[in-house]
Amino acid sequence: MVSKTEETQLNRLENQVDNGGGGAWEYLCLVRKLKVRRSEKVLKYGLSILNDPKKRSALGPEEWTLYEQVAIAAMDCQCLNVAKDCKKALLKKFPESKRVGRLEGMLLEAKGLWAEAEKVYSSLLEDNPLDQVIHKRKVAMAKAQGNISGAIESLNKYLEIFMADHDAWRELAEIYVSLQMYKQAAFCYEELILSQPTVPLYHLAYADVLYTLGGLENLQTSKKYYASTIDLTGGKNTRALLGVCLCTSAIGQVSKGRNKEDKESPELQSLAAKALEKEYRQKADDKLGLLTSALRSLKI
Amino acid sequence: MAEDLVLDTAIRDWVLIPLSVVMVLIGILRYFVSKLMRSFQVPDPKIVKEGQVIVRARNLRGAANFIPPKSFRSRRVYFSNEENGLLFVPKGQAQNAQAQMFSDPNMAMDMMKKNLSMIIPQTLTFAWVNFFFSGFVAAKIPFPLTQRFRSMLQNGIDLSTVDVSYVSSRSWYFLNLFGLRGLFSLILGEENAMDDTQRMMQMGGFGFDPSKSLSAEKDGLDIVQHEWALPKFEHRAEAVLKKLVS
Repeated sequence: MVSKTEETQLNRLENQVDNGGGGAWEYLCLVRKLKVRRSEKVLKYGLSILNDPKKRSALGPEEWTLYEQVAIAAMDCQCLNVAKDCKKALLKKFPESKRVGRLEGMLLEAKGLWAEAEKVYSSLLEDNPLDQVIHKRKVAMAKAQGNISGAIESLNKYLEIFMADHDAWRELAEIYVSLQMYKQAAFCYEELILSQPTVPLYHLAYADVLYTLGGLENLQTSKKYYASTIDLTGGKNTRALLGVCLCTSAIGQVSKGRNKEDKESPELQSLAAKALEKEYRQKADDKLGLLTSALRSLKI
Repeated sequence: MAEDLVLDTAIRDWVLIPLSVVMVLIGILRYFVSKLMRSFQVPDPKIVKEGQVIVRARNLRGAANFIPPKSFRSRRVYFSNEENGLLFVPKGQAQNAQAQMFSDPNMAMDMMKKNLSMIIPQTLTFAWVNFFFSGFVAAKIPFPLTQRFRSMLQNGIDLSTVDVSYVSSRSWYFLNLFGLRGLFSLILGEENAMDDTQRMMQMGGFGFDPSKSLSAEKDGLDIVQHEWALPKFEHRAEAVLKKLVS
């Protein structure tokens, strides 16, 4: 995940390059390092460097990495001719390369020729059955074709071997949520929390899934995770604040007949409500009325 | 015996500097040769999977307090289950891994190559130093030493009255051997430093790695007491919000 300093640096470089201030190569390197998806800009500035023979020779051996980066960006923007040209240049230089083979597969994918792409990927996998990127491309292909259950199956098989890959867990969780398989999604989010316990995003997503599952225990757990998100973000996450309010009122509704375990719940909810009001007042004053009426209906 | 020996500057010109230069050059040569000889090693799927299992088990142990107790328990059973737990390695298999590693021809070849590329230049240079540069005092160490070091540092010098700070060129060779690592990382780029000492350590503790670390992880996991940290977070969130609202 991209940190705040890296994000500001990226934006600054982007502004600089956009306004004609040079530094395109540093921008491209940073985009590559952070694995951000800014395909249009990469395509524009990468092509400007590649088409200028002086600048191209100034890059030296990095030229080929730039070709690869521009080829992928071109495929993302559907400029398939540009991608084909880059791939041809790379193929001339590295005839037996696996990376170029992967680019070929991606080009076939971009054109929509799924069967050929599948063939290319399978042959690459035969040579090296442990290539992570190719496995992930196959999953992406299944997802793009709309074959979600196939995508889930291949992703599960991938995770059986590479179970420490948290990006894959995240993708699986999102697929499960889209299919409303919330229990499985909860499991995936637990894995993510285990591998990176201080990232508030995962706590928030886990709390959302638990709240959707419902049931007293899940609601209580969900409230705790909304609270941990609030703690990790210093109270600035509006969604977590709303989540706390919703959870408390839902718990109150579900456990109406039984003894309410009152530990500290009322304070948390009222505090969250107050924080919400303060934030709305600062940022969206006109919507404050909506918020207060919604909160009032919750507290019943 | 604090006599000050005056050492000829010719020693510095013709012994210390050439020796360092030769060692640097040999190191660079070794790096390029190893790059040429490096064969692409197909990673063994079993080992990759075990590595990943270990990472996941370690994450579980480290962050166990962040997930609900039920999930933690079910995961612990999944890992340490007697029948088909991921971390459970029956005794028979443990021996097998090591034997297999030594009998697998590819791996044995690779190990041999790596070791050879390190041993041969070292032996040759050491023999060369001994042959040409022995029998005289090469340098003076700036701090005083005890008599114990005499046999190590003053090997070619057969006078027992010379101060231990005056050392032979063999010790200069060893100094260079361990000290040029920093220089190599500058010249050859950050990751390609001639980590001789690291490789020497690697030679010792080789084949046991997978099964031992698996059982170590399993023991660690069995020990962990799950203390759910989330209730604490509710209190902390309250404190945070109180500060925010007030």
